[in-house]
Amino acid sequence: MDVLVQLLLNGIMLGSMYAIIAVGLTLIFGIVRVVNFAHGEFLMIGMYATYLLATKLGWHPYVSAVPITLLLFCVGALVQRFIIQKLLGADEHIQIFATVGLSTALVNLALMIFGADLYSVAAPSARQSVSLGGYTVLSGQLVILACAFALVAGLHLFMQKTPLGRAIRATAQNRNAALLMGVRVDRIYIISFGLGAACVGLASALVTPLFPVTPTIGSYFVLTAFVVVVLGGMRSMYGAFMGAMIIGIVDSLSGYYIAPDLKEVVYFAIFILILIFKPTGLFGFGRGTE
Amino acid sequence: MTAHSTTAAPVALAKPSRLTALTHPRVYVALALLSLLLIIPALSHSPFVVHVFVTICVFAGLSTAWNIVGGYAGQLSLGHMMFYGIGAYTTALLIQHFGLTPWIGMWAGAALSAVVAVCIGYPCFRLRGPFFSLATIAFLEVVRLLAIHFHGVTGGSAGLIVPLKPGWAWMIFTEKFNYLIIAFGLLLLTLVVSWAIRNARLGYYLTAVREREDAASAAGISPTEVKLKAVIVSAALTSLIGSFHAMYTTFLEPATMFSLATSIEVAMFALIGGLGTVVGPLLGTVLVVPIAELARGWLGSSANGLHGFVYGTVLVLITLTLPGGLVGTFGATVGRWIDRLPGGKPRPEPEAPALRQITGLAGETMLETKNLVMRFGGLVATDNVSMVLKRGEILGIIGPNGAGKTTLFNQISGFLKPSSGSVAVVSGAKETTPASADAFARAGVGRTFQIVQPFGKLTVIENIMIGAFMRHPDVASARAVALRVSSLVGLHHVREVEARNLPIGDLKRLEVARTLATEPEILLLDEVMAGQSQADTQKMVELIRAVRDSGVTVIAIEHNMQAIMSLSDRIIVIDSGKVIAEGDPQAVVRDRRVIEAYLGEDFANAQGL
Repeated sequence: MDVLVQLLLNGIMLGSMYAIIAVGLTLIFGIVRVVNFAHGEFLMIGMYATYLLATKLGWHPYVSAVPITLLLFCVGALVQRFIIQKLLGADEHIQIFATVGLSTALVNLALMIFGADLYSVAAPSARQSVSLGGYTVLSGQLVILACAFALVAGLHLFMQKTPLGRAIRATAQNRNAALLMGVRVDRIYIISFGLGAACVGLASALVTPLFPVTPTIGSYFVLTAFVVVVLGGMRSMYGAFMGAMIIGIVDSLSGYYIAPDLKEVVYFAIFILILIFKPTGLFGFGRGTE
Repeated sequence: MTAHSTTAAPVALAKPSRLTALTHPRVYVALALLSLLLIIPALSHSPFVVHVFVTICVFAGLSTAWNIVGGYAGQLSLGHMMFYGIGAYTTALLIQHFGLTPWIGMWAGAALSAVVAVCIGYPCFRLRGPFFSLATIAFLEVVRLLAIHFHGVTGGSAGLIVPLKPGWAWMIFTEKFNYLIIAFGLLLLTLVVSWAIRNARLGYYLTAVREREDAASAAGISPTEVKLKAVIVSAALTSLIGSFHAMYTTFLEPATMFSLATSIEVAMFALIGGLGTVVGPLLGTVLVVPIAELARGWLGSSANGLHGFVYGTVLVLITLTLPGGLVGTFGATVGRWIDRLPGGKPRPEPEAPALRQITGLAGETMLETKNLVMRFGGLVATDNVSMVLKRGEILGIIGPNGAGKTTLFNQISGFLKPSSGSVAVVSGAKETTPASADAFARAGVGRTFQIVQPFGKLTVIENIMIGAFMRHPDVASARAVALRVSSLVGLHHVREVEARNLPIGDLKRLEVARTLATEPEILLLDEVMAGQSQADTQKMVELIRAVRDSGVTVIAIEHNMQAIMSLSDRIIVIDSGKVIAEGDPQAVVRDRRVIEAYLGEDFANAQGL
């Protein structure tokens, strides 16, 4: 029983990390309607940036979170402006190839610059064990959990209460109608892609103290994030959040009860089953509810 | 020909032998260029050059095989290396455990890959665009992780070394050129298969399904069936090449055998050369692989990541500048140059003398619906519709917008399953309900779409051929029938124009043409006169009469009252999903309920009806 509770706790901690990444992916897919295969590489960029700020300037990763979130916003906005924007009218396979190509280029660029070595940031304050009624988690994990909740709450307020948020929701629900109402759809897309990337920027600064960075770290996280997004209904931020928690828990339980090297098989199996049998996601949030 | 047979009209054509294809300049030029892949390394004597050419042949083969699914069928698989890995491991393990030669083992691997491909393809083909790609990535990852997990069988992450027994029987050589011969042979096999598919009914069908699945179904094509055929062939070819490549590299590990990065590269070569073209994947590989291999050779490990970076960048640039790839962009021009060489004259194209004559007892029941109800949520789109279609008649269906006419059509052509009630196609004494839209088409129920559904990137004649293939599997006879139909509906002058460039009037005629080419017994026309000029409407009316006179029974939905009244033998009026009147045209227009439905109760009262 003790083991199970600890595993569930671990799962939620892991899930909150996936949640931040998956919410960003959902924003991009839900609004711009493009599946961003380079999402994981955005995470990698953020992690290397965190590493550089920590080693060159001595910044704590949590301090770096602010500039890196901004940096990734700009990266996302530029990608949208100069690549995706030009391909919005193109065939779907061209859009897939574009982000897949971007992903390949970025992974290999990192390989050229940093090599295949693992780099980690020593941030002892993020790796302290915290006891919660007899169960242990890392302080850094609690920070991620808090940030995941804050992010979803913040985005919720932004989407519901601000004019820009309303414009974004309108664009997500019906691009042409939004266009006719005077919404500058192109600009909304740039902002949305930027926001999606900014979420990964936040995630990257938060996970760097816990995971070493390598050029391929992105694909490790982002394939899971795709599982989460599909589980959560693809366009719903709240669905993505819950999907992330489920995958975190599945990861944690199957790693213990089945085999550590098969936990990915378990959630990829879930992913495929959901895609095939319930493509609207587990919770039926359907379309455009973000 | 026999005037009263119900079988497909035999189209007498002198069938050219396969070998005469060799006299066409596109074929002999391609073969000459292809032979350079053997000649250049044979002249160079450098093992490195031979290695580069083996790599080119392997990747060109993989890319060509991928293109059958990714290009022709438009299913962007990013997990194709799964089949490569399956082929490699099957072959290597069969040598290791059973002493089976790779020449046999590779076919076992291909068979296994084909089975796996069906198991994955069948459920995944319903996924659209990026989600299909994601699912294939997920499958690839699962297979890779399983290969690592079951290390007792596969050697796990540590890898597996192919037993080294030199000689042709074991596909292990000290002379590298022998590898190139096999690699070239496999590439040639893959290209021939790809070319044959492209130029056969399957190739046209795959394009049709890729462009518009609904219109393809209406032409009698089962989308799942043709996609499965494509993926079986593609997986088997990929697997064969994987088996060979394992014997060449002699070392297997899950990370390289089931690599996502390589899966992407293979797809990328096809995109660069031209997705869905025969030579595109080969061209893309020939252009990109040598650069990467040379960079690796010259710069060594200091270039770690360089070739991947170049690949990724090229891929993004291609999507931005040349989305059609090299062949898609320049292919037509180069093709015209090549056609000026001897033997490049267009060959004569005979037109089929006539479409099949349909016979049967006039007035017998052909199609019957009983109490059709179709609910969409709370909306009842058709409410208890029962109707009978008699052989030889033209039945008009009219009703205000939103009355449920098209929904009725969708049910009697298999595009919608009724919530309750039944549809039966009657043939003699036999009543059947086909299981799917394509089965309805094959049962002789042809339909057009109100919102036109052309295959935009195919020419007019190719669009019509998609329909003609249903009863004429052979390309030449399908073309002959299509030419006949194009003259019949008045599209002959635009037959080589891509359908996306046609004006709406021609597109409406193309809808009719594609359906006519399936030589249906029952023709369902959904507002084919909308958007036509007065003169064109008159032509359409004449065409429909001519079609009926050839034995076809017609149901037409139409808003053009003058045309439908003069054309129809019988009219059914639908409003709010219900049949409100039925009878001969003159009686129907005087029916009070009909006038109310169209013009309102007040008008009916004012008329004193």
